Amino acid sequence: MSWTSSRSLLAAALLLLAGCAHWVVNDPLVAGRPAPDYRFERAPATGKNTNSLFVCLTFSGGGTRAAALAYGVLEKLRQTRITWKGEEKSLLDEVDCISSISGGSFTAAYYGLFGARIFEEFRPRFLDVNVERALVARAANPLNWLRLVSPNFDRIDLAAEYYDEAIFEGKRFEALAEPGRRPFVILNATNLANGERFEFTQDQFDVLVSDLSTFPVARAVAASSAFPFLLSPVSLKNYPHPAGFTLPRDIREGLNDYEANRRRYYWARNRALYVDDARLPYLHLMDGGLADNIGLRPIEAAYRRTSGFIRRLMNEGEIEKLVIIVVNAGTQSLDTISAKENPPGVDVVAVKTATVAMGNYTAETIEVMKELRETRERAQRNLAACQRRLTECPGAPTLPRLATEIEPYVVEINFEAIADPARRAWFWHLPTSFNLTPEQVNALLAVGPELLGAAPEFKELLESLGGR
Amino acid sequence: MEYLVVHFPRSRRVKVDDEFNGRTDELIELEAGSHLVTLGPPDNFSPDERRIILKDTSELEPREIDFELDE
Repeated sequence: MSWTSSRSLLAAALLLLAGCAHWVVNDPLVAGRPAPDYRFERAPATGKNTNSLFVCLTFSGGGTRAAALAYGVLEKLRQTRITWKGEEKSLLDEVDCISSISGGSFTAAYYGLFGARIFEEFRPRFLDVNVERALVARAANPLNWLRLVSPNFDRIDLAAEYYDEAIFEGKRFEALAEPGRRPFVILNATNLANGERFEFTQDQFDVLVSDLSTFPVARAVAASSAFPFLLSPVSLKNYPHPAGFTLPRDIREGLNDYEANRRRYYWARNRALYVDDARLPYLHLMDGGLADNIGLRPIEAAYRRTSGFIRRLMNEGEIEKLVIIVVNAGTQSLDTISAKENPPGVDVVAVKTATVAMGNYTAETIEVMKELRETRERAQRNLAACQRRLTECPGAPTLPRLATEIEPYVVEINFEAIADPARRAWFWHLPTSFNLTPEQVNALLAVGPELLGAAPEFKELLESLGGR
Repeated sequence: MEYLVVHFPRSRRVKVDDEFNGRTDELIELEAGSHLVTLGPPDNFSPDERRIILKDTSELEPREIDFELDE
């Protein structure tokens, strides 16, 4: 064979390799498949974890900074001893769900998959690793250059492969869906087309007629942390909906609520969009922070919606204490724009436009959750007060009662609570990257437990649980 | 949030939007809007289901609906 022919053959082979590279396609939903569904209902309370003390955590975005802060909070919960229903245990044993965004999704997924192993492995495997350098090294590999030539393979696919091999041991969602496994972890991304929050649960995948159980957890984490510009979107296939496909009842009823409940109507409408698979055969997902940078919206939905797992447990009288701990690694970046007379260039405007809104609704979302808590507490107080008055009147009727009285707690920790201005500023100015120094990681691991321990509502909770 | 009480001569689980969400004669806390309400088994009640729009209720003035026991 001539030198020219060999070169032609090699070039053809390389082009074929490039053309074959494709993002990992999510599997279609097959009726009657044996694989477990990844839904909250598949994880009933077992062992030390009760429904009566119901604890949800939310881990915000913010790269390794957020992952380390969340990890520190997990350690604090593990060290916190409580007594509930006569049994002494760690507060971490009672965590029922974790909802996470971006950097926080690494911690949430790792704890969901490997449990207590996180306390031995997560720091050397992720927190102390220069993930950015590892990703650049992958992209610099000439074999990957060829794969990146393919229109169906991009930087995010290389990142997901790295996370899959180096961090998540190739685990699929079926590993998270083992019966009785808690916490139920909700990894969140954002649908780039409409800005809607997208969660990696089977309930969401049902609407795509897709099976989440075979989907790599690493790809969900990659979608959750696909920061605009630095990484490309994670793509999913929206499969043809079979004849007779019906949306869940909650969504169908919500579609009637344009006048009665606009919030529910838009939620239902955005879920129902995917039924139009001919017009929308694909979804492209980016960082969950674009829709909600603290991961609290899924918990709010679980509390509010009739299909929500918290709502159903509350109405069924199973929850006595509801604890929501928001771990917010949000920062305040230095304003370098306003100091200059000349307006910023296109590059700065593009990045700011894509990212400036990420923290805009954080405080608002937390306030909405607190208002829901206050509504419940007020209802309980009013009912008790009116019933007391009624009992003074002979023959007066008994008021209908809620299934149980609930003690709700909404705890938020963030750097704002650090008293010393210089120390607070130091944490505020930590970068949103996947590359922190060991000193920075150490500081984050220490401040998480400190902030949680000092949060007034957490102290109240511990007092009620005989915590120490 | 909105409030619903479902009356039935016997204690029975209540289904709202195809999900169990409480029991008869208890206050059920729900999101505002359109809901389909029915009872859990056995199937000895009528009507089969009731569609309601929950709005402007309170814990002291809930929406109240009835199901009858089929003899």
